[in-house]
Amino acid sequence: MIKEWLARGVIILGLVMVISIPAANKWQQSQGIVMHARMAETGGWTPENLTAEVGDPLHLRLTSDDVTHGFAVGQLDQPAVDINPGEMTDITLEFTKPGKYTFYCTRWCSVNHWRMRGTIEVTDPQVKTEPAKPPLYVTLGLNIDADHKASVTPAQMPSAWRGALLSQTVPDAYKSHDYYLAHTPVDLWLALSSEPSLKKLNDQDVWDLVAWVWQSNTSPEGVRTGKQLFAANCAACHGENGAGNGVFADQLAAGSGNTSSNQSMGEQTQRPANFTDALRMLSASPAHLQGKIIRGGMGTGMPSWGAIFTEDQTWALVAYLWTFQFQLEVNP
Amino acid sequence: MTDQNLQPQSSIRWWHWAILAALVLAVLFVPIPTGASAPTERTFRIEASRFEYTPSILEVNPGDKVTIELVATDVVHGLSIDGYGLETTADPGKTARITFIADRQGSFRFHCTTTCGNLHPFMIGKLEVGRNPFLWRMIGLVGVALFAGAWKGRK
Amino acid sequence: MTRLQESLWVEDIATEAKDSRSSKNYYIASRVNLYQIPWLHAVLESRWPQFLARAVTLIGFVFTIATGLFGSQVGSHNFAIIMVWVAWWTTLKLGFIPLGGRSWCSICPIPLPGDWLQQGGILVKGERKFGINLRWPKSLRGSWLQSSGFLLIGLFSAVTLTDPHVTGWVLLALFALAIGMSLVFEHRAFCSYICPIGGFSGMYAKAAPVELRVVDKEICAKHGDKSCYQACPWGLYPLALKDSSACGLCMECLRVCPKDNLALNLRPYGSDLGKPKSSTRLDESWLALIMLGSALAFSAVFVGPWGWLKSSAFEIGSLAWMAYAAGFLALNMLFLPALFTLCVWSWKKLSQDRFPLKRLIANHAQGLLPLGLMAWIAFTISFALPKLNLVLVVLNDPFGWGWHLLNIANISKSLDVSGFSPYLQVALLLLGVFWSANVTRKLSRSDGKHNSLPNIPVLTFYLVYSVAMLWLLVG
Repeated sequence: MIKEWLARGVIILGLVMVISIPAANKWQQSQGIVMHARMAETGGWTPENLTAEVGDPLHLRLTSDDVTHGFAVGQLDQPAVDINPGEMTDITLEFTKPGKYTFYCTRWCSVNHWRMRGTIEVTDPQVKTEPAKPPLYVTLGLNIDADHKASVTPAQMPSAWRGALLSQTVPDAYKSHDYYLAHTPVDLWLALSSEPSLKKLNDQDVWDLVAWVWQSNTSPEGVRTGKQLFAANCAACHGENGAGNGVFADQLAAGSGNTSSNQSMGEQTQRPANFTDALRMLSASPAHLQGKIIRGGMGTGMPSWGAIFTEDQTWALVAYLWTFQFQLEVNP
Repeated sequence: MTDQNLQPQSSIRWWHWAILAALVLAVLFVPIPTGASAPTERTFRIEASRFEYTPSILEVNPGDKVTIELVATDVVHGLSIDGYGLETTADPGKTARITFIADRQGSFRFHCTTTCGNLHPFMIGKLEVGRNPFLWRMIGLVGVALFAGAWKGRK
Repeated sequence: MTRLQESLWVEDIATEAKDSRSSKNYYIASRVNLYQIPWLHAVLESRWPQFLARAVTLIGFVFTIATGLFGSQVGSHNFAIIMVWVAWWTTLKLGFIPLGGRSWCSICPIPLPGDWLQQGGILVKGERKFGINLRWPKSLRGSWLQSSGFLLIGLFSAVTLTDPHVTGWVLLALFALAIGMSLVFEHRAFCSYICPIGGFSGMYAKAAPVELRVVDKEICAKHGDKSCYQACPWGLYPLALKDSSACGLCMECLRVCPKDNLALNLRPYGSDLGKPKSSTRLDESWLALIMLGSALAFSAVFVGPWGWLKSSAFEIGSLAWMAYAAGFLALNMLFLPALFTLCVWSWKKLSQDRFPLKRLIANHAQGLLPLGLMAWIAFTISFALPKLNLVLVVLNDPFGWGWHLLNIANISKSLDVSGFSPYLQVALLLLGVFWSANVTRKLSRSDGKHNSLPNIPVLTFYLVYSVAMLWLLVG
């Protein structure tokens, strides 16, 4: 009967539409790149490796399958975008230089948030890639894994403005940027203490001078940039006050010793470094700190940021780290 | 002919209604001592994890100046207080702060505003400002309703 | 003209209903036959309106399963999670059940393919019918399986309600089960004996204002060919309907009766309650109690501030979850039944009642229905109302693939209903308490010697339960 076939038709038509339209859309979407973001423990980025060409815009559709993530590409001048769960975010990347770029998550999504990384291999058919230059600590031959402890420490926190007020002349050799990069605050203190022209200064005054010299090698914008980078990337482990007591610190500390706390990642971790510890910080040079930031790793759980931060950003972060040891503001 | 529910005439008199009204008004308006104390400044550090707040129940006095420090311990979490219309979001490593005067008395729920996983819609805490006279009055009304229902069914 | 009685306060008054065809006057006390209203008659008589509604739910159901299995795994942005556990649940608890009793069953998509196979056709019964039509085993009759199913869902609810994959698979499994059962057993075996929704819908239908009944029993007595029974997909005999719990309101008997002797009546709330029952079956009593218990448990787990409780409900398989499961089952299978039994037993002693305890329990459990219905509506208000904004979100982008079907901006801010929802919830609980107390008093009148006494033990049970629910929801 017509009634019956009409009814059957309605049902079949409805079912076909409701299955085929989404299926067609899914197929169409798979022709482009849909990037799924998940916490590192449950898969991280999918796909993890992309390719692109210089001058050819790369379109990505980003979505999160669990919590809020973010997307940014290291050493590319592109603002980070948030990836909200269940929503699609569109982004277009343009590359001007070839190389292997690293993309990473920018919103903390677990203790392994920093491991959420992938690569974009960008080629330029016309240009040969130039070899990367080694970081400073390698050039200087520093062993950044060796134990180091300051032989002297200040009685109270040195401040740059008091150093400035002393109106002493510091020999040029010690004020140069190259000296700052390659030497520790303790080195400078020892050198200044044995300087004949500064003999009348007491120990604390010399520390203030050290702070002043250190401050002259940084800039307020650099420190500000470093502060923002620290809050977004480092505070969760190292603590908002740099004392190695961030929200993930206990979890990381539990992974030291023979057992691995990070079962899903199979790596040992340890308690994050305490930047307020003078014994450690004052016996480290800026190159040493930069090396640690760039390279990370080696069984400590410290991420490697070399592919993520530009060189300027890294030095800005180092400048900020000194604020845990010195009062760097000239006008307090 | 169906013989369902042929019942006698209504046995509710006007003064039954009057008694009921009197009881309801009494329950609703009898003064309850507020137990007020001088307003102070309170600060709460709330650690948010998937899917709970620690502590999840905050008790303050009416008029207190309350500061909530929201510390996210695993993923990005939010906090929004119903009835006060306040909201904030915290990333791990960035403590978020909101400060307000607890001028509205009663029991207010707060919940997470950033999708943090499966149970996100049920990540709930409670802000108790002073006592909750609303609850006591409603419990009183339950008693009145119980009595009224039993009274109505007596014949 | 007829008058509509919808208020509980107004006592039953006999009304007249005129049958236009046979020009006889029927005296139907307190009932309004909706089938007599001309436009409604046309809508119910034709099979097309109901079919179209069913087509929508069936196609929507298949789409829902697809989004659950293939869409975004973020629950709040997945069509399956939001439409089933927020939208449909709200319409069920706030609409279908309180206004229509078992009315959802008339358009539910789950049994439809099985029904059509049993009938051999969708609108017109065919010659080739499928199914071996076994009788449902006598030992499995009653609502025991439905209640157990409900408790089972409750144990896993923290995951089922939030994980799209799990929801998708559960719906698919129920779908397959219903179809399979239709091919083996006669009538709607799944709906009558397995489906937990059917279990409590049917139970609360006894309190609801809609019923399907025979108009004049004399006509049925003279009518040999029971076409209504032949037509009913539930296997019911309309003349024998004592209450509304088993009838799925599919209207087939209404359409088929050659004497037009069946009515869809609007009736006062609670019409099937308050009458002393002759049955001593405890399955319905238990279902009434577990509905109360699970409303308490879910209020504590889902809308309470205790994160440890939520985590234990969520981490299935862990020690914490086993403790939660043990607690949940103990509340519903031991504590509440024992407490209620104690109250009824105390009443039996107080009123020097000679009836057996079992019968008294089955009887007085009727009083639990209004309170349970209102408690569930109140819980649904806390649970689902603030999330209604997500309905628009998932209608806009059901799979979370970046669709913009409704072309709206993102509304991810949840609704702040705290301004009015506590008052609504309190009003509902007060209504439930009043109504339950009323029913219990009516029931007590038929018991024992001291039948002028109010049933203090059971009333105390209501008091304690309501206070607990109040504290959980608005405290």
